Amino acid sequence: MNTIMNNDAHERARNLIAWAGPEALSSADRAWLAAHVETCASCRTFAENAVATIHALRAIPIAAERSLVSTTQMKVRRRALELQSQRERFWLVSVSCTAVTLCALLSTFALWRGFAWVGARAQLAPSIWQVGFLVFCVTPALVAGVLLLLRGTHLADRTGSYEG
Amino acid sequence: MNATAFYFESSMAQESTEIARGLRRRDPDLLDRLIEQYQHRLLRYLVYLTGRRDLAEDLFQETWIRVLERGHQFNERYAFSTWLFAVARNLAIDHMRRKQPSSLDGLLNDDEAPLDVPATGQASAFDVTLRREQNEHIAAGMQHLPAEYREALVLRFQEGMSLEEIASVARVPLGTVKSRIYRGLSALEPWLKGAPL
Repeated sequence: MNTIMNNDAHERARNLIAWAGPEALSSADRAWLAAHVETCASCRTFAENAVATIHALRAIPIAAERSLVSTTQMKVRRRALELQSQRERFWLVSVSCTAVTLCALLSTFALWRGFAWVGARAQLAPSIWQVGFLVFCVTPALVAGVLLLLRGTHLADRTGSYEG
Repeated sequence: MNATAFYFESSMAQESTEIARGLRRRDPDLLDRLIEQYQHRLLRYLVYLTGRRDLAEDLFQETWIRVLERGHQFNERYAFSTWLFAVARNLAIDHMRRKQPSSLDGLLNDDEAPLDVPATGQASAFDVTLRREQNEHIAAGMQHLPAEYREALVLRFQEGMSLEEIASVARVPLGTVKSRIYRGLSALEPWLKGAPL
């Protein structure tokens, strides 16, 4: 029982030294630790070594060089500018996409009404003017696709010329 | 006493709020100031974490770029330094994962040269020599410690972080931090007198 208590005391003492650092203990803990260390040579050695180690750790000077700091500041500023221009581009693209989508919706609606009106005037079956509407909408994209395929744009190298 | 503590707490909270606001705006002037303010602390942490000055300097720059990019993630309820060190730590781990899939263990490399220990300031002969030797021994000892122990010791005794803050940076339970500090200090004991056999 006594041994267990002693072991607990040693453990507590060493933990207090290690966790809090010998300089940052509460007064009660400091008093208890001082009393324990007075009578325990191994904990005293541990405390002395801990103090020396911590002092040594604090005394090792590692400083950032001026060039590192200024290079970092420059890189950060450059990156900030990049991010800002990215954000502006993104905003521009978002606005453009929204505008294009709105225009497409409005023009599609107007075209639909126009085809319906022409179909009614010409007394065509709805399926006929609807097919006509579809062809009218899809044809420009199809033509552009076919032209691009014929030019081989999708296979062109970086200079735009097609080889093979 | 309580008034003083309250004053410091509220001024720290105010500072964190200002930093958070500036980071959300990606204010380059604020970042310049923060880089100046934390330059030595961050580099020291990275040098001890990686054990290599050149790598630490690369990570130092990457850390600030990351701070700029992810600044909006900084939670003003915490100290900026805690978040900064956590960012740096994550980058160090990412770097090691690119080299080999591992945790911080991969940062320990016995083949690397021990940490450079520049000469300390002026004082009288014998004590200075003795202290310098001790510093060199401890620096060498640190190099042989597992990176987790090094990190805990540096954050505790060089950066003066609380155990809770260290747990937050390292994302480990408080008990693990305590154990790392205790084991780290114990492992450095033999190095006070020189490299153990």
